[in-house]
Amino acid sequence: MKWLFLALMFGLCVFVGYFFSMKYKKRLNFYSALILFAQKLDVEINFSRERLKKLIENIDEKTKKNLLGIDNNFLAYLNDNQELTYELLFKNCNILKQDEKEMIFLFFKSLGRTDVIGQTKEIQNFLKRFDDKLNKCLSDNKKYGSLCFKLGIIAGLFIVVILI
Amino acid sequence: MLNGILPDQIFLPIKNKVGFSSINEIRLRANKPIILSIMGQKFFLSENGRTRSLNEAIIASFSMIEEIIFRASECSIYSVNEQIKKGFIVTPNGVRLGLAGNVIEENGFVKTMNTFSSINIRIPHEVKNCSLKAYSSIISDFGINNTLVISPPGAGKTTFLRDFICQLSERNLPYDVLVLDERGELNIGNGLGNFADIISFASKKVGFENGIRSLAPNLIVTDELSEWDDMEAIKYASNSGVKILASTHSDNMESFLKKFAFKEIIDEKIFKRFIVLSMKEGPGTLEGIYDENFNRIMRW
Repeated sequence: MKWLFLALMFGLCVFVGYFFSMKYKKRLNFYSALILFAQKLDVEINFSRERLKKLIENIDEKTKKNLLGIDNNFLAYLNDNQELTYELLFKNCNILKQDEKEMIFLFFKSLGRTDVIGQTKEIQNFLKRFDDKLNKCLSDNKKYGSLCFKLGIIAGLFIVVILI
Repeated sequence: MLNGILPDQIFLPIKNKVGFSSINEIRLRANKPIILSIMGQKFFLSENGRTRSLNEAIIASFSMIEEIIFRASECSIYSVNEQIKKGFIVTPNGVRLGLAGNVIEENGFVKTMNTFSSINIRIPHEVKNCSLKAYSSIISDFGINNTLVISPPGAGKTTFLRDFICQLSERNLPYDVLVLDERGELNIGNGLGNFADIISFASKKVGFENGIRSLAPNLIVTDELSEWDDMEAIKYASNSGVKILASTHSDNMESFLKKFAFKEIIDEKIFKRFIVLSMKEGPGTLEGIYDENFNRIMRW
């Protein structure tokens, strides 16, 4: 019984470490996907001038997965004649900080509102800001991502040793 | 028809209290009451439907107008900028929104339009058999006569053209019809029958040249002739042996004859029939049919 409890405690600590490290990984994947998404919009709007709904519906599955549902929330706004709000856009998305939410909200709010030249310039501006965020996420992931996981293991071992 | 484009504040009173079928136009002007045009009469829109009382009227705002244009462009203004440059947007189901706002010009060309201040929403109607009275003067034993439909704005030219194309199809007349739908207003509702090819949003010059070359039509139908380029396109079609059914804005025959752009094609007698419509007894009232020498051959 004691050994089982110790194993459970160790597992819990490792899981907590893994959970925090995944948060950094998810943020990294999110910004990579967001940049891909914005680049795709930029190209398609310039060349095909395809409607926004169609462009968003046609995003590949991997990018869709990493966008954490923001694309679907935005699509719901486009389809349902409702106002775009933070609550709607970031429903089920809890890894972003407030300033990041504000930036991404402004990006989505600007989509479809101007002519091709204005729209592509707007996207380019946001892409620069997303790039900065991606670089920050990369260094955070390097610094803290693996650290969290390792700390989880160490904490688990520490608890096990103390309890023994 | 305008569900998902108009905000509920406007859509619901119209749908529930007025009915879209009775409305010809909805006009929104920023910070002014919303106006409905019903059978040639003007009303304000209120929460309870149409009204004459200014106090009850719903007031349009800049943001309301901007949102309607955004929704009408399927949330993609960039995709309809060429239309916006010409001062309108057409929704996927053929509703035309005329726009007013700040026009941005560069080197003499319109670049785009912004700060929209007015919208005129024209509700298209399908009036079955509205072209029948004039049908026999357009179609004769020798085929189709080149015909020009003349009327003031909103008097039913487009509806007439649309019905005529459907009449040809219903009678199984073996004419290949090329519909040059420059503003996307002709091809709406139940379509244009079984013998129509449709080129949308192309200028008449481009549409006529490409259409005649690639689709070999017997008849070309197009709306709203007005510019010199349009006349060149008409002459090109006529010289290519293709028949033409077209429309143009004018109050009556007298004012039409004063239109300078038409002088050459009138002198060359390219059009054999002129059909004049008016608003006298509501949109689509047939005033008269004239031959190429402007003799009235039918009167109502």
